[in-house]
Amino acid sequence: MLIDIKNVYKIYNEGLESEVRALDGVSLQIDRGEFVAIIGASGSGKSTLMNILGCLDIPSYGGYTLDGTDVTELSDKELARIRNREIGFIFQGYNLISALNAYENVELPLIYQGVGLLKREDLVMDALERVKMADRAKHKPSEMSGGQQQRVAIARAIAARPPIIMADEPTGALDSRTGKHVLEILHTLHEEAGTTIILITHDNSIAATAHRIVRISDGRIVADSKNGGNLQAEVAREGGAGS
Amino acid sequence: MKLTQALKMAAKSISANKGRSALTMLGVIIGLAAVIILVSYAQGQNLAMQKYYESLGENKLNVYAYSWDGSVDVNDELYNYCQRISDYVSGVTPNGQIWSGLTISYGVQTLGQSNNGGGMVIVDGGGGGSYVEPPTFYLGNDQFSLCNNYILAKGRDISCMDIERMNQVCVLGASVAQSLFGMIDPVGETVSVNGIPFTVIGVYAPKGNGVTEYNENGDNWQEVAMSRMDNIVVFPHTLTRILNNNQSIDEYTVKARDSKSTRMAATLIKSFLEGILGDSGYVDVVNQTVYQEEENEANKLQQYFLGGIAAISLIVGGVGIMNIMLVTVTERTREIGIRKAIGAERKSIITQFLIEAAMICGIGGILGIIVGYLGTLIVGKLAFKIILIPGAGITVGAFAISVALGLIFGLYPAAKASRLQPVEALRAD
Repeated sequence: MLIDIKNVYKIYNEGLESEVRALDGVSLQIDRGEFVAIIGASGSGKSTLMNILGCLDIPSYGGYTLDGTDVTELSDKELARIRNREIGFIFQGYNLISALNAYENVELPLIYQGVGLLKREDLVMDALERVKMADRAKHKPSEMSGGQQQRVAIARAIAARPPIIMADEPTGALDSRTGKHVLEILHTLHEEAGTTIILITHDNSIAATAHRIVRISDGRIVADSKNGGNLQAEVAREGGAGS
Repeated sequence: MKLTQALKMAAKSISANKGRSALTMLGVIIGLAAVIILVSYAQGQNLAMQKYYESLGENKLNVYAYSWDGSVDVNDELYNYCQRISDYVSGVTPNGQIWSGLTISYGVQTLGQSNNGGGMVIVDGGGGGSYVEPPTFYLGNDQFSLCNNYILAKGRDISCMDIERMNQVCVLGASVAQSLFGMIDPVGETVSVNGIPFTVIGVYAPKGNGVTEYNENGDNWQEVAMSRMDNIVVFPHTLTRILNNNQSIDEYTVKARDSKSTRMAATLIKSFLEGILGDSGYVDVVNQTVYQEEENEANKLQQYFLGGIAAISLIVGGVGIMNIMLVTVTERTREIGIRKAIGAERKSIITQFLIEAAMICGIGGILGIIVGYLGTLIVGKLAFKIILIPGAGITVGAFAISVALGLIFGLYPAAKASRLQPVEALRAD
């Protein structure tokens, strides 16, 4: 078991009248090499779930074991190490550093990992090749289209070759053709490198390409294709209906 | 993350945000330059005062002694007494000014009180002439130059022999020599004082730089006073018979060995002279050192005051730095969120921001010192006519303070943001 969360809660303003349960007792297991789509309406808690899975946020309650390690016990420094080596993030808003060019953005996680200059150059160029952005290495984010920025963000996520990629609405800000291309990159990564992919989306047609679909609503998992049922077909149908 | 990487990252960030970096630096530059210039200005004022006091002669006592009926001349008694207390006193001279409106001429040039009244004096250059200040005529002895801090530039000083034999000789101040003789060497030439021939035996070196009037160019009163000291003619004091209607001399200058002896000498001389004159005359001994000390106190106060103003400008500069740093903190918080999300440790982030702030403040600080030095040179030139250079203490101190301010205000928001969960920092917008 690669990822194992048990009874995770994320509660804001706990005890107040304005209390919000973004996650309300979620348990989820993901195996190495899976391609999982987490779907749900906006506000359902899917982004919160990803933030917790990606160690970007800490749960209010509940346990989280990542590759056998109890993440809730880890120090800030150890969490940084996990984010750096184990997980690659792709955000909806790209989250590139505007002062740095494509190459430097992709290089960043490798610098934090302490990879030497020459090896870094190999890894950065390899990652940029994979997303077909090698020719734009010297461009700043402001000089690139949304799709190009997202491809650079993917290059950054995969540069350190982490075993897990987490993507939060990676196609949300892109047109359907560019979105499709980004999705292809993720699938290629999954097939060729065996990377575990966790994809968060509200777009059913994208979710339908995943091998496993988890549906979340009001902070709870309401359906998981792993547990039988015909969620895949259902989602595909909904996607086809153009939701 | 290695330090070299942090350095590169900070440099990249500075050059990528040129506007922000420049504004922050500007705060440091202004604050630092203001402190350096203001404090140096105060120090320049001190220097000018010091120079002035040095030209007056240090450890000097002005002695006034005369009898009501003008019949007693204490010169010989005072001279002998000063020999006796030579542990405290190194010299004494009559310092008699002749008020009777003498003129001194050489060839066609005449210096002296103008006939048609008024304070100004005519240099009669044959055609029309031009006005300069009248020289002051002194009666002194062989220690006149020692007591009044004159240095002989040419010829010789008045000697004991001149005084004894009442030789008709005189020594000229620098500007009198210039006015009367121009390029000619005055030593050995004969001048006419109220028609009586006198031989010029020496010329004093100048004290001032020829400034004789207050003007708008910032010439200060010390400059003017020092230039006036060059506008003198000194005769052996025994010539009072032919130059000053044989009036007895009532003013003397005593030079003490050091500032400590000045007080002692003042007390001794005062009681000695009072013993001679008693109720039949007037005795006063003025200790210049006291004025000087008072003036130094006043200057110190002024220096504190200017230092206070400077400290305020440094604080204003610091607030400027703080504002820039805080204004960009939202943008930087997001950046910190991204960096944390892709694996930066708190330590790496703080190191980067620390180096960044240190670089900006360091560069700003060096520029500020350069601006401060240039400003000080200009101020020194305009206000004091000297080459004024800021002290090392104030330079280092102000640099350290402005860099510290930059570091604190640059680092604090970053340290705060780095403590956030990555997702919270990413949410900043």
